[in-house]
Amino acid sequence: MPADAKTLATLALVFAPLSLVSVGGGSSIIAEMQHQAVAVHHWTTQREFTDLFAIARAAPGPGMLLATLIGFITAGWLGAVVVTLAFFLPSSLLMYVTVSIFNRWRGSTWHRAIEAGLAPIAIGLILAGAFAVLTTEGSGVLAWVLALAVTVFRMWRPSLHPLVLIGLGAAVFVVAHTFA
Amino acid sequence: MENEPTGTSADVPAHSGDVPTARVTLLELFLLFSQLGLSSFGGAVSAWVHRAFVERRELIGEAEFAAALGLARIIPGANVVNLAVMLGHRLRGAAGAIAAGLGLILGPTLVAIALMIAYRRWGGSPGSRALLEGAAAASVGLLIAMGLAAGAYLIGIGTKSERDDVSSNRHHAPSFWSMIFFRKPVSTFRDHALWTWRNAANTALIGAVFILIGVLHFRMVPTVLVLTPASIALAYLFPLPRD
Repeated sequence: MPADAKTLATLALVFAPLSLVSVGGGSSIIAEMQHQAVAVHHWTTQREFTDLFAIARAAPGPGMLLATLIGFITAGWLGAVVVTLAFFLPSSLLMYVTVSIFNRWRGSTWHRAIEAGLAPIAIGLILAGAFAVLTTEGSGVLAWVLALAVTVFRMWRPSLHPLVLIGLGAAVFVVAHTFA
Repeated sequence: MENEPTGTSADVPAHSGDVPTARVTLLELFLLFSQLGLSSFGGAVSAWVHRAFVERRELIGEAEFAAALGLARIIPGANVVNLAVMLGHRLRGAAGAIAAGLGLILGPTLVAIALMIAYRRWGGSPGSRALLEGAAAASVGLLIAMGLAAGAYLIGIGTKSERDDVSSNRHHAPSFWSMIFFRKPVSTFRDHALWTWRNAANTALIGAVFILIGVLHFRMVPTVLVLTPASIALAYLFPLPRD
């Protein structure tokens, strides 16, 4: 994994704009991240991307460590730092600037319209991201069944810790693999 | 401890001025967010932030926290990182924002990279691949559930029970979406005629984004840049009787 300047610059140029369009949280841009990392720049194979997604979700903290992992797998520690800065800094700066003027907005018609208008877009993006991961070559029928089962269970019993479901999912696949 | 309802009043809370802004040091802020980042799994960090900053430490009031959450959602970026930046700024200024954001990202990043190195080292075995594939499939399920719960509320089939979950002090962390979307019982405006067609419009918007980007693989940035202003204009011209 050569950490040449060109690769680092490309990483920054891909992830910085993504930072500024990830409305509704990072999970909304998974589909675009996958497109850029796998199809456009060949930083990861489809399998690797799916694996990184799982690792990022299994790790604690913000789910968007997926970006950092793509940077790491592409260009080592330097790549991880570059992507993390490119991905988290622009939106954080935007947030910082907005905080200072936000109180003047609050309660205004525009404020409410922006909040209400972003909601359906963000929801559509989240569902599209989930669909993009499920329709990758590597995942078979079992992945669909498990994902939908987890969906139902999560909505039926929201109090159950998500990590329990992730652990169960992993166990189901290991068992299925062992006896397949 | 503040027990007043959140998200119901549009004005800045009266008690926010009473809260001293320097009750936490930079190091404490950094460590607090590190701890929150490292101890929260499954994308529910903001619920843990609420627990630490509003319920436990009483560093900011309920209403102000609700405002922070709303803004963190509007601004692009990982919601909880935005939240950290805002709370850090509120409590300790620019340095506070940096300390909070770094604290939240640094620890989990190292854990994730460690997991990845371990995977690449021992990941060759078929068993470990199955392990990860299973975890990934389950994670996708969590994503879908989050999207569906938010969507269900938006198009009017959500229930009040999620809201009650949020306000209780139960140990589990409710999803970020449930905190934002399940603020009010849907029945308060369910029968409104305007609401019915706005429902259809919102459903169409969700469907359009899903199909264009998820199924037809349209580029996300231009698609969002076109659909978001349309959605905001719709919400501006035909506001729902919601707040």
